[in-house]
Amino acid sequence: MKYDLLIIGGAAAGLTAGLYAARRALKTLVISKDLGGQVSTTPTVENYPGFIEPQGGYDLMERFKRQAEKWGAAFKLAEITSLKKEGEVFKAETNAGEIEARAVILAFGKKSRQLGIANEKEFNGKGISYCVTCDGPLFKDKVTAVVGGGNAAVEAAEILSKVARKVYLIHRHDKFKAEAVNVDRIKDRDNVEFVLNTTVESAHGDDRLTYVMTKNKDGEEKKLKLDGLFIEIGFEVKADFVKDLVGFDKQNQIITDDKQQTKTPGLFAAGDLTTNPYKQIVISAGEGCTAALAAYEYLEQGKVATLDWSPGTI
Amino acid sequence: MKKITVYSTPTCVYCAQLKNYLQENKIEFEAIDLSQNMEEGQKLIAKTGQMGVPQTSIQEIDKNGEVKKEDFVIGFNVEQINSLLGIS
Repeated sequence: MKYDLLIIGGAAAGLTAGLYAARRALKTLVISKDLGGQVSTTPTVENYPGFIEPQGGYDLMERFKRQAEKWGAAFKLAEITSLKKEGEVFKAETNAGEIEARAVILAFGKKSRQLGIANEKEFNGKGISYCVTCDGPLFKDKVTAVVGGGNAAVEAAEILSKVARKVYLIHRHDKFKAEAVNVDRIKDRDNVEFVLNTTVESAHGDDRLTYVMTKNKDGEEKKLKLDGLFIEIGFEVKADFVKDLVGFDKQNQIITDDKQQTKTPGLFAAGDLTTNPYKQIVISAGEGCTAALAAYEYLEQGKVATLDWSPGTI
Repeated sequence: MKKITVYSTPTCVYCAQLKNYLQENKIEFEAIDLSQNMEEGQKLIAKTGQMGVPQTSIQEIDKNGEVKKEDFVIGFNVEQINSLLGIS
């Protein structure tokens, strides 16, 4: 299929880009492996301007999608496996076939960071999880642990403390990065135990996770019996498939100019995967808008250039 | 005929997305909320070994009502769902 604009990622940045591009009458496709990305996993959003009452994250993203579709953007659930530029055309391979576009916006955000311990992959879904809101209820009366020290980790421990028999909160430092108000909420709960200055080294079990090995700052190793391990150590950009087309900063975020264009003409980036230090829905939406308008400008100039070089005008 | 069962929890957005996707494609399914039905949850975990949601069971049922085949899709995996249910 051929499009004017291909947008990779279906959350705040990508769907806003889709809306603006469709309103500029560009033939636009938003392709994403899910709807709403990280926002969707947020139970309530209270700071998106114009919505005074709290909104469910997923509901808000559905609204974004419906608005983009209303103006003519197409939305497809699929995954991109490669992207290359041949002449003036971008070619994307996806698990739903090849797609061609004259401009592309990267808006696929960040993914959960993995711990990088032995057997992490083997036990994914078999005791190891990256989504407390999804899988937490399955650990009723079980022994669980959360790894991490930020707000997400502390909130995960809070959610689990309501269903699980025991929740260890394992953090490699002695102080949490999470806001004090969140830590205070769980520190006196009977079934919550803080395990500080400690890292998780490896995961073990047969068919499913049964214990992890931990190590404290003095190097002492300890076996900790667990049914569930929830990993909440932040997010990272996974953009290997475009590594030849864009530049990255030290945190592997994609560098753009002030029109959201990457180092490749016609290739734009917007949302959490850019170098903007603040990751907010409204910022992602704003960057998505800028990227779509800049892509429109790029494509319009492209049209002029094509006309100039057509037979009869030279 | 095919019998489709979606195992989910109420706070899981991938479950909601999966159910929406099936509805959009006019596919009937039974939904089981594992937070209210741990018994079904234990049975499911014993079958698939997966302690995560969503999980979708797709049973092939013959005219005598016997289950001939059961496939499971783990997570919101559109590609697998499409191929097992013939959605294009």
